[in-house]
Amino acid sequence: MLITNPLNSSALVFPTLECFHIVGFALSIGTIAMVDFSLLGIGMRRQSPAQLAKDTWLWTLGGLVIMLFSGLLLFSSDPDMYYLNWPFLIKMVFFVSAVIFHYTVHRKAVASDTPPNGKLVAWVSLALWSGVIFGGVFIGFVYPGLSLG
Amino acid sequence: MLLSFVQWLQFTGFFTALRGSAYAYPIVLSLHMIGIALFGGMVLMTDLRLLGWAMRKRSMSDVVDQFRVPKRWGLLLTVTCGFLMFGSKAEEYYYNSFFRTKLILLALVLVQELVFYRGVYANPAALDQAVRTPVTAKLAAAVSMLLWISIACCGRGIGYIEPPLDKIHAQLLPRSTYEGETAICFLSNPTP
Repeated sequence: MLITNPLNSSALVFPTLECFHIVGFALSIGTIAMVDFSLLGIGMRRQSPAQLAKDTWLWTLGGLVIMLFSGLLLFSSDPDMYYLNWPFLIKMVFFVSAVIFHYTVHRKAVASDTPPNGKLVAWVSLALWSGVIFGGVFIGFVYPGLSLG
Repeated sequence: MLLSFVQWLQFTGFFTALRGSAYAYPIVLSLHMIGIALFGGMVLMTDLRLLGWAMRKRSMSDVVDQFRVPKRWGLLLTVTCGFLMFGSKAEEYYYNSFFRTKLILLALVLVQELVFYRGVYANPAALDQAVRTPVTAKLAAAVSMLLWISIACCGRGIGYIEPPLDKIHAQLLPRSTYEGETAICFLSNPTP
């Protein structure tokens, strides 16, 4: 290899980035889940979903940015491995779908005061983001070319 | 005594079965992470509100009160899954410095709760009436954020410490190999 990724020069960089990744997803997925629960009528009784989304969207975006940048750096440590890792590929499908869903269908549903499919939208959102988390965890439990177990 | 307890725990039928399943651990870990997203997200937003950095249009009592119950459910999910993971490899966790640090930090969370519960969390309406947010509320939020982020980082650190193989009684079997590295999985219960 001609270029050495500075990320791989220290054993501490990768776990530190993972910690940023965790805080980033707690912030982003956590705030999105709050809005979903609000749509479902679970807790969050003091605000409408639209108000809650207005109060948290910037933190959601901030969390997404932290998660995305730390994730890209984590990926850069061993791209070949990730490319061959099926949970990673599934995670990316879930992640791209979840982001697109969040900024299109989800945003529209939350913005209207009485979304017709509010509950369905909330469940889809929760399912997509859960898929991202499951995929992320399973990355570490599978080796390229070998199935789990 | 603690050591014999964790040895007993990991060799109970339930935890032996859990350890023997290749899928159980990552599934429980995923649910643990989902719990972290729910609970952690609400803790961060509550703390950021008390610090006056987020949700400023909303009163502190609204934020603290509406997150209180869902936060507890999130914590319950996280702790339950955490205990399941601990139980399945209790002896290994016992020796793990990050796990020990994490437990100490969790104890400090209890102390934080005891110190600040009355003045801050039990009566957030009083915080709204004050002209300026009381310093105790901001201190509570800062300590809470620092502790919970440290706990998450320690949790991540647990996986980076190699178990002291000579001291562990749960059977270790080489499983799959990739580029010459041996992955280790913990299977059934050998007679210790």
